[in-house]
Amino acid sequence: MPDYDVVVVGAGNGGLTSALSLAAKGLDVLLLERHNVPGGCATSFVRGRFEFEVALHQLSGMGGPERPGPLRDLLNRLGVMDKVEFVEEDTLYRAVLPGLLDVTIPADRNGAAAALKDRFPGEAGAVDRFLELVWEFCNQWVATFVLRDPEASKARYPVYFTYALKTAAEVLDAHFKDPLLKLALAEYWGYMGLPPSRLPFADLAILIWVYIEFKPYHMKGGSQALSNALLDSFLEKGGRVRFNCAARKIRVAGNRVQGVVTEDGDEISADYVMSNASSLLTYVELVGPENAPPQELANLGTGTVGPSAFTVYLGLDREPKDLGLEVSTTFITDDADMDRHYALWRTLDPPGTTGVTCYDVADPEFSPPGACQVVVISLQYAEPWLTVPPARYAETKYRYAEYLLDRAERVYPGLRNHIEECEVATPLTHLRYLGHPGGAIYGFDQYAKDSNLFWERTSAIKGLYFAGAWVGSGGFQPTLESGVLAARAILRDMGR
Amino acid sequence: MSERDIRLEIDGYIETRRELDVLKKYGFDYTAQRGRAETLISGIHPKRLRLRVSEIRQETASTKSFRLVSADGRLPPFQAGQYVNLFVEIDGVRTSRPYSIASPPNQTGYYELAVRRVPDGFVSSYLLDEVRVGAELAGSGPAGNFYHHPVFHGRDLVFLAGGSGITPFMSMIRETTDRGLDRRIHLFYGSRIPEDVIYKDELEERAARHDHFRLHTVISEPPPGYTGRTGFLTADLLSDLAAPAGDKTFYLCGPEVMYRFCRAELDKMGVAPRRVRSEGYGPPADVTREPGWPEDVAAEARFTVRVRNGREFEARAGETLLSSLERAGITVPSSCRSGECSLCRIKMISGRVFQPRGARVRKSDRRFGWIHSCLAYPLEDLEILI
Repeated sequence: MPDYDVVVVGAGNGGLTSALSLAAKGLDVLLLERHNVPGGCATSFVRGRFEFEVALHQLSGMGGPERPGPLRDLLNRLGVMDKVEFVEEDTLYRAVLPGLLDVTIPADRNGAAAALKDRFPGEAGAVDRFLELVWEFCNQWVATFVLRDPEASKARYPVYFTYALKTAAEVLDAHFKDPLLKLALAEYWGYMGLPPSRLPFADLAILIWVYIEFKPYHMKGGSQALSNALLDSFLEKGGRVRFNCAARKIRVAGNRVQGVVTEDGDEISADYVMSNASSLLTYVELVGPENAPPQELANLGTGTVGPSAFTVYLGLDREPKDLGLEVSTTFITDDADMDRHYALWRTLDPPGTTGVTCYDVADPEFSPPGACQVVVISLQYAEPWLTVPPARYAETKYRYAEYLLDRAERVYPGLRNHIEECEVATPLTHLRYLGHPGGAIYGFDQYAKDSNLFWERTSAIKGLYFAGAWVGSGGFQPTLESGVLAARAILRDMGR
Repeated sequence: MSERDIRLEIDGYIETRRELDVLKKYGFDYTAQRGRAETLISGIHPKRLRLRVSEIRQETASTKSFRLVSADGRLPPFQAGQYVNLFVEIDGVRTSRPYSIASPPNQTGYYELAVRRVPDGFVSSYLLDEVRVGAELAGSGPAGNFYHHPVFHGRDLVFLAGGSGITPFMSMIRETTDRGLDRRIHLFYGSRIPEDVIYKDELEERAARHDHFRLHTVISEPPPGYTGRTGFLTADLLSDLAAPAGDKTFYLCGPEVMYRFCRAELDKMGVAPRRVRSEGYGPPADVTREPGWPEDVAAEARFTVRVRNGREFEARAGETLLSSLERAGITVPSSCRSGECSLCRIKMISGRVFQPRGARVRKSDRRFGWIHSCLAYPLEDLEILI
């Protein structure tokens, strides 16, 4: 008898939902986590009187209780909805290019269209046509891949089959002339890690659609609250967890998983291992190249490690309205050249696109009374940080933080005068806590070739399964879903 | 997928497939990166340090400074004001204590720590009485959030130190004066008697040499005939010598009583809370005197703690759960031992603990029963999950 039915390596979003799904089916599950808290990126840290949200900006796919989205359904099935309180936002974002653009896009289709047409009256017709295309595309995508229409075909769903592999820029360029309008519609590229010229149109379309159809959400207590709730339910179902306990090896013999060796040298036997560590780490470090099937290593080689993030966490001793913050999410750009902004992610030069998130706009209880929390962020690859000698790391980090604050203050002047707490995280911080190469927060770069249309779902090692951003899309909804899907695959393999 | 692969009907699908086939042939070989993430991070945040004592100096009757060099390579950088956690094993008990680094970051050859004797101190007595030059000690990488943060602390700094609380300031003062940084520092250093002042000569010498560093030594129990400044770090004193408070940032490090006193004085001066930084100061000397401690539980009361899937042991109400665990031979990761860093986080399954103010526990941790064992005291029999 193996020690456990399944060992789950990593308590990130995907690890937590897979562990809970499996334990709920009565399986004996051990969850290993190298850190001392569950959540992976979905976590928080405390400084002074503030609890800082590490990763979640806007949760997609929730929907209200009366019209639940896929994520609310999933969390309902997992039985954690009574343990977390969700907060709906009514705005997608405010897009600002100081002096040239300042438009706030509501989280409803008509409102979004009106805001854009009001600012860009010359292209009003194109705005309608674009949004119609987005909705048509998404409806056809749902019919084909979510509802799995057996009659799906190019003839039946021409919009999906025509546009699925186009880039976002191809579609935006075909519709619009004004680069500011393209910018205003494409701001979410920062949530996906590739500029419109490289980003699949499908990703941008689905994100806009899903945020409008099911609204952006946050939660009371931040994403740590969901991570803690998932873990709590897992423990209630009899699951076992070990914190501060990394996996050192996944034992494989004859192409079959045998178990896990922890960093303390404990040998744990199991026929199934669910890895919520990156696929790179799993094959290169845990399984080891000597046991990794050559075709899996070749598959890894087709991907490029995606961006990490540079984040400035601010605890401010004023309420949002006192600082001019009236929307949760603001994107501030230096110009409309998103390819240039993307290129800057590989440098230590000031960023071209900066995100500003204030959690207290939608949830006044997020911070203590009279205070609020603001996160200023730019994505960035880890590479430039690897050129910084350790002794210069701190000063380089603070210099880069000033670049972000300069940009935030172009729209919200005076922020700097109210800082009570400030913490700065670089790509190396993510590398440290996630143990991922590149400190990547969304896994591999998400080109069309990296989408699930091209996955070969058979794991070449029997008993080895994956959950998380490295085997799918990045972000909260996809990673939470990935764990449930991977758990289902294990149950299927067990014949349950 | 059904038998008919509808993906083939997507515009561009077959072409992209071919691209992938090419990439499989010529793609990146990630196996060459084995161990890379760990290597990259260990230069800044190594998990463990092997340190060797290279020099010990008697600083005052009760304080020695220890210079620690690396026993296996280089020392990671740190920000002046941070600490290392020293791991020790004393009479079979494995525990640890955080000590602020007193040497400046620009001194890359060693870390200097100053250890002052704590009455009945378990670890301080061991370090002062047992550890000799050449001894090896294990340490954590530098950690902590008590340092000058250039993004919002400004250039006018007022340090309020009490007793051995001088150590993080020593690092900041040495760095500022050695490197000629553009910062103006007032140090108010409170000690009971003149003989307790640690680093007295060096501080006076640096103050004499550098205009932007002002030293104000304050003695609370002066001997007869003492001519220096006496009393406590009061609002009047601070206002007299370091006015205007305006945009200055105030830093506090010292014994527990000093925080309470100085915070009230800073309030009187109208200093905004955002301008006050405090270092963690460990568990309270006597937790039963903390506000909210239940009257019916004595410090000496003993309770049974059961570790789920583990052993049972007895814990004293007046001692932190972390220390009781360590006494019982159960090692829990820990670092700041002041309720801040959350490394010693454990879950209560049943029972009740007292958590003094200052335990910085996440909201959802509180909701689901997670506590920081370094700042939690048993009030009943407990069952815990580690």
